[in-house]
Amino acid sequence: MQDRFLSYALLIPAFVIVLATTIYPLAYSFITSFREWDLTRQRRPGDFLGFDNYVHAIAEAGFQNSLWVTIIFVITSVVLTLVLAMSLALLLRRKGPLHTFTRIILILPFAMSPALIGVSYRFMFNPEFGVLAVGLGAIFPSLKGTPWLADPDLAMAILVATDVWHWTPYMTFMCLGGLASIPRETEEAARIDGASGFRIIWEIVLPQMKGVLLVTAILKTIFALKMFDQVVTLTGGGPGTSTETLAYFVFNVGFKWYDMGYASALAWILTLIMMLISAWYVRMLLSDNIKETA
Amino acid sequence: MKKYIFWTIERALLLFVSLIVLFPIFWMFLTSLKQPRDAYSISLNFQPTLENFAKVFADPWNLGSMVMNSVIVAGVTVLISVPCASLAAYSFSRFRVKGRKTLFFLVLSTQFIPAVVIVLPFFLMFRSLGLLDTRIALIIVNLAIVTPFVIWMIKGFIDAIPVDSEEAAMIDGASRLRVIRDIVLPMAAPGILTSSIFCFILTWNEFLFSLILTRRDAVTLPVGLVSFRTERGDLWELMSAAGVMITVPIFIMAMIIQKHFTRGMTAGAIK
Repeated sequence: MQDRFLSYALLIPAFVIVLATTIYPLAYSFITSFREWDLTRQRRPGDFLGFDNYVHAIAEAGFQNSLWVTIIFVITSVVLTLVLAMSLALLLRRKGPLHTFTRIILILPFAMSPALIGVSYRFMFNPEFGVLAVGLGAIFPSLKGTPWLADPDLAMAILVATDVWHWTPYMTFMCLGGLASIPRETEEAARIDGASGFRIIWEIVLPQMKGVLLVTAILKTIFALKMFDQVVTLTGGGPGTSTETLAYFVFNVGFKWYDMGYASALAWILTLIMMLISAWYVRMLLSDNIKETA
Repeated sequence: MKKYIFWTIERALLLFVSLIVLFPIFWMFLTSLKQPRDAYSISLNFQPTLENFAKVFADPWNLGSMVMNSVIVAGVTVLISVPCASLAAYSFSRFRVKGRKTLFFLVLSTQFIPAVVIVLPFFLMFRSLGLLDTRIALIIVNLAIVTPFVIWMIKGFIDAIPVDSEEAAMIDGASRLRVIRDIVLPMAAPGILTSSIFCFILTWNEFLFSLILTRRDAVTLPVGLVSFRTERGDLWELMSAAGVMITVPIFIMAMIIQKHFTRGMTAGAIK
């Protein structure tokens, strides 16, 4: 009886925080998303517009562009991060001084501020004195004088690169955790039977990693959907609007144009996309838990 | 022979990975030691100087006040969220009560809400309360991002502690609260420390909230970086010096939890 009381009591402080800092603002912006509220003209929220803000979003070129930019960004960054993380985890699985060293320094990109990563890549890709721009130009003469961040496709590629650089370490650790939990016996047996290393990885290791890879993919997708910091410090959404992700677009609408109603509607569209993906993810987590305890 | 080739390729790949990881960091440290004219060349032959660090702490940049803001915001966020999250994590981990799964689901899913959604209403609220550009505002919104995450992480650590000693103590007549204080907390301490450092890193690096909610007084370090973009162009050597100031404390902390890092992360995320 006492436990039952305690089990809820212990939850209260954290629950109050979560309620006040996420549930309440969510509800507030949900309501705002159905109203007209231009901060430059109205001090208080204006009339209810029904679904006008949402309809407006779907028809607007700026929103469509940012949706498209986000889709391209998410797909490239998730695929690249996953492939690199899995490969790196396979490399790092063995023991050795160089392996240990790599594993230790791998935590650094993850700990680095994403805003700072954006700044430092912008510096390195400056066409006149950026070390990577100049260096690549010296190695591949055809790349000399490439206006890296002024080119829409290259700017997107560099944006993806900063994100891959930032997240691959974390995802590598997750893959390493997964690799550590699969039994080695089948692999050993296959090796004794003379199967090649490549076949062992492809036919024995990877199928067992399916669950972990799926979890990693969904997590990375959610992180990529939120992409904001490097857009501000690396490209500023440009050139033009070619790297304007959804989060950045919402930011512009809300805090440059001060259109709160429209910004809230946009934010909720982003939330719904993420909710769908994360609901799927959490359900998978919980069903795994059930299997484990059963 | 074949083995030797493979050995070489493996080493070469690892060295290449290390290079990619370290180079941008190395270049930032190097640039922070350059004089302005050297910063605009990629030459390694330059006279190193600590001038940039003196400059960023002086007028008009005043990095010192941003360091203070970052330390206070991240520190207080940790001090509030970690104790609350630890209690909740214990409850989620040990009690089988009704609605627990739904609640846990709710807490977890808030972690996936884009920060930009949360910040809109907070901006409006803080504006009417006159709390814009204050540290309190930043602490409140940071709690939103950090708390669910910390609950998740600490729950992973508490799950890993065997219940036997707890049960034994309770049979001996110890109350649940005493068990938590005397048995669970000491055993979960490394996990709680790891989570605290994690939480500190997340808050320290947080950019969007600070960009929107601060102007001058409560600006934190990552947003301070943007101020080195001036009409005269980007002041790269100063930006790098500020970058070093952001990075060094976090790298030290990351190294402290390095050993627990993998375990904490994967325990939380995969289970």
